[in-house]
Amino acid sequence: MASPGGQGGGGALSTRGGGGARRMKWALELSLGNTRSRGDRQGGQGDVVYPIGYSEKPVPDTSIQETDKNLVEKRCWDVALGPLKQIPMNLFIMYMSGNTISIFPIMMVCMMAWRPIQALMSMSATFKLLESSSQQWLQGLVYLVGNLLGSALAIYKCQSMGLLPTHSSDWLAFIDPPQRMEIMGGGMVL
Amino acid sequence: MIADLFILRQQYVGKVRFSHFDTHVQSSKKVLVATERNVFAALNTRTGELFWRHVDKTGSEGNIDALLQHGQDAVLVVGNGRLLRSWEINVGGLNWEVVLDSGSFQSACLVGQQDMVKHVAVLKKTAISVHYLSNGHQKWIENLPETETVDYQAVYSDGNGEVYVLGVVPHSHIAIVVYSMEDGEIIKQMSVEAPWLYNIQASCVVVGQGMLTCVDSAGVSFYMLDLHLQLQMTQVPLQSLALEVDPGFHPVLLSHQPNPARQPLSEFFLQLGPDHYQLLQLNNGQIAAMRDFKPALLVSFATTGEKTVAAVMSPKNKTVSKCEIERSLPSRPVVNLFSAETGRRLLDTTLIVNMDPNGGKPEKLYVQAFLKKDDSVGYRAMVQTEDHTLTFIQQPGRVMWTREEALSDVVTMEMVDLPLTGTQAELEGEFGKKADGLMSMVMKRLSSQLILLQAWIGHLWKLFYDARKPRSQVKNDVTIENLSRDEFNLQKMMVMVTASGKLFGIDSKTGGILWRHYLHNVPPNAAFKLMVQRTTAHFPHPPQCTLLIKDKDTGLGTLHVFNPIFGKKSHVTPPALPQPILQSLMLPLMDQDYAKVLLLVDDQYKVSAFPSTKNVLQQLQEMAASIFFYLVDSSQGRLSGYRLRTDLSTEQIWEVIIPPEVQKIVSVKGKRPNEHVHSQGRVMGDRSVLYKYLNPNLLAVVTESTDLHQERSFIGILLIDGVTGRIIHEAIQRKARGPVHVVHSENWVVYEYWSTKSRRNEFSVIELYEGMELYNSTVFSSLDRPHAPQVLQQSYIFPSSISTMEATLTEKGITSRHLLIGLPSGGILSLPKMFLDPRRPEIVSEQSREENLIPYAPELLIRTEWFINYNQTVSRVRGIYTAPSGLESTCLVVAYGLDIYQTRVYPSKQFDVLKDDYDYMLISSVLFALFFATMISKRLAEVKLLNRAWR
Repeated sequence: MASPGGQGGGGALSTRGGGGARRMKWALELSLGNTRSRGDRQGGQGDVVYPIGYSEKPVPDTSIQETDKNLVEKRCWDVALGPLKQIPMNLFIMYMSGNTISIFPIMMVCMMAWRPIQALMSMSATFKLLESSSQQWLQGLVYLVGNLLGSALAIYKCQSMGLLPTHSSDWLAFIDPPQRMEIMGGGMVL
Repeated sequence: MIADLFILRQQYVGKVRFSHFDTHVQSSKKVLVATERNVFAALNTRTGELFWRHVDKTGSEGNIDALLQHGQDAVLVVGNGRLLRSWEINVGGLNWEVVLDSGSFQSACLVGQQDMVKHVAVLKKTAISVHYLSNGHQKWIENLPETETVDYQAVYSDGNGEVYVLGVVPHSHIAIVVYSMEDGEIIKQMSVEAPWLYNIQASCVVVGQGMLTCVDSAGVSFYMLDLHLQLQMTQVPLQSLALEVDPGFHPVLLSHQPNPARQPLSEFFLQLGPDHYQLLQLNNGQIAAMRDFKPALLVSFATTGEKTVAAVMSPKNKTVSKCEIERSLPSRPVVNLFSAETGRRLLDTTLIVNMDPNGGKPEKLYVQAFLKKDDSVGYRAMVQTEDHTLTFIQQPGRVMWTREEALSDVVTMEMVDLPLTGTQAELEGEFGKKADGLMSMVMKRLSSQLILLQAWIGHLWKLFYDARKPRSQVKNDVTIENLSRDEFNLQKMMVMVTASGKLFGIDSKTGGILWRHYLHNVPPNAAFKLMVQRTTAHFPHPPQCTLLIKDKDTGLGTLHVFNPIFGKKSHVTPPALPQPILQSLMLPLMDQDYAKVLLLVDDQYKVSAFPSTKNVLQQLQEMAASIFFYLVDSSQGRLSGYRLRTDLSTEQIWEVIIPPEVQKIVSVKGKRPNEHVHSQGRVMGDRSVLYKYLNPNLLAVVTESTDLHQERSFIGILLIDGVTGRIIHEAIQRKARGPVHVVHSENWVVYEYWSTKSRRNEFSVIELYEGMELYNSTVFSSLDRPHAPQVLQQSYIFPSSISTMEATLTEKGITSRHLLIGLPSGGILSLPKMFLDPRRPEIVSEQSREENLIPYAPELLIRTEWFINYNQTVSRVRGIYTAPSGLESTCLVVAYGLDIYQTRVYPSKQFDVLKDDYDYMLISSVLFALFFATMISKRLAEVKLLNRAWR
């Protein structure tokens, strides 16, 4: 839209005014509803040239309410399904990082575990986001399940890396030495 | 390496048997000593340090029979006449060594001719041989005549080309054989009637111009025989010289031959009683009394140049009566010099011997005489006391050095924590007590703070005061007054008990002897058991150690109770022990003064408690049902277990007989009471747990077969529960022989033996496991153990024989264990227990790799970096003592034997200590720099923000 009409939408810039306007070198007219200029335009022979296809009549938008609704719904589903969508990606990362305990797999596992937890912690904020949706509760449930699945995956990863204290050996250090019931001593006859 | 700072080695020689001052150079600083521990050494007379030392074999094989010195050569007869050795005394190098013909050694002497000493004569039971002093070659050897009847005992020469061999037919006659020095031909041979004589060396000396002078205690008279003329013995009754022998005393003669190429002095000493000496002179065949010394403790001759003096040590107070001398030690004896020719006292020769009041009586006196510039005789004296101490004293009584040779024979030792300093103890005392009201707590707190402040000001004042003094005067030594525990409890008091009966308290940091205490009347074959009854943790009660001394002949025991920090005898009176004592047993019970209870088992199997207060007896009655003890009688092959009844009598509950005809019990090892095991199990490769069988009552009994034939000999190891007598495990190692060294700790037993089949030393390790599940994780009772443990065993080849073995010990038992092995070569090896693990797999699997198990290899290698003493050889290691320190990573180690060696080991490296090269400067400067940078940048940011806001 290369035209001064773009500016003309906001206001008309006139350099060749007639009559009393001639006295000024230039003037900026901020108001479109100016009767004088309207009269000029209606005169047909005004200074402002409108671009082709410009319609002065506003076009009424009748469909906007419906699509908005759809979009919000879609957007909310996006939010709700986000954690679930991440799972395949996580699975791939898990597979790639392997079970060795080194800094990168640990960092990844931490991220994987931390993100769902963070999401679950800010559950109320998410619900506020979903407020406008009609399927708010279903979406909330899906979101929750997705996050739970994500954290389960992280736990599984921890398990396969051996980071979970599920073996008896993990509790070995906490076993106290048994108390002695008998006192015994003696030795070779001196 | 910084670790060297913690190393401490002290070298000893043992009780001195022969000693010679090196006199061939006027300014020599050497004294040669040959000792009963088969050591020949040269000591520096200025400092008491060793110039050099030669350690021979132990036992009779290395026994030093005689020490002769001439010029730069010292000739030794070793091993009951097996070897003749000559040493160069300046550097301690061996000149030559010859093997002598077999036969038991009798006597040896240097033989001189025309003022030149060129030969040494060695007399044996059946033969006499003469060797060149320069190269040891044998000049001649002659068989002695009539050896079936005559007992040849002494050899004598005075430089006239003849060698006299003196023999005796007991209670009949003296046989004298004279050999020519040139070719060993018998010049003369005759016998002289002497029905009263049975031992020449004990009762005869050669005096003056070859006059054999003997003293007969029964007939109370001198007998004299001129060796050159050999007519007959002339009898001179002692009464004719107005001499009288103390009743029951065997008189002893002492003569002096300054130069083997010349005749002996004509003056000699006669000892008439324990404290009575007489200087006599032989003049033209007539004996004349010169001077009477009573009381006199010791006498000695010394020669310098042409002058010979007699040194006499006497108690200072001349009026002290004899019974008083016997009762109490004269604290300050005095040595005086007397001219040997005239018997006159030399002026200004008094030397005061400052005796240690906690030491023994003087036993031997060695005098080093020298000529002063004004031609008068000066001297120094080396005094040997019965507690094996050598003290070197200069006129007028300055002790130049003291060597505690008793420490060459440490029997048992303990390490005791040092006390906290007074201020620390004050604080600890405050928080140790129970709260009794807010006000009093505040007051207590304030008062203790005040004391701290006072101590701090005192410390500052002392610093200020010391700073004004010259540096040399400020003493930095650890003394008994400034002893205090360090931050990590690394410095401890080593309490050592020696075979001579002398106790020592040694600071483990500096090695300084802080106290010594000689126990009189300790029998020579006593058995010792040292126990710590109260540690330093119970301020203000003093720590308390108890030493049980048992006379092996009579079986009677005595208790010596003392404070291990100061060595003082405790005011607690130990109980009298009228019955022979079999064993003692330390209970974890405490009386109201925090002293652990000691139970003493007598030969009637009755038990007495020490301390035996009402409180203790009551506790004992309550606890009696859970107190058990075991006794092992090696001679009868009997192991028996007893239970305590409430009336302190005992009841035998089990007995195991090991037939002594087949095998004998060599050693029994229980676990150390202060051992902590942190981990109750081992993690397997699949991350399950194999629980350890940690039976605190388990005993490892080692037996050796009486049959020593290499095909039939065996050793046995028996793991037995000391409470129930249940045999947990039994293993027999066939074709194996002792000596067996055992270490028993945690859930493992390691033992070392000689395999006669493969002719090598082998290690074997037994580990006991309870299985994958614990039977009872809260309490351990031997009476309730239905399941037998799993036993794993593995053996390894070790490339060296060993002399002793011990395991490291740490505070909490988290640090991995090492075995400390004393090798006969003088090294102390720290072998990780990881290498002695019966779970080492033959085939490596994923799981074993996960567990970090080393694949099995039959050979254990000795890696040189495992030696914890580097090149500091420790001779004849007899035992290794380990003690935990306040740092979990650090274990204190003391190896004792002929030498004492103290160091620290870190089996899992120093995981709880910052490295020595930790850069405190860099780290702190970086920290400060970052801190200031933050401050500055914060300020700058503020300014910038403000400026921007204004714009």
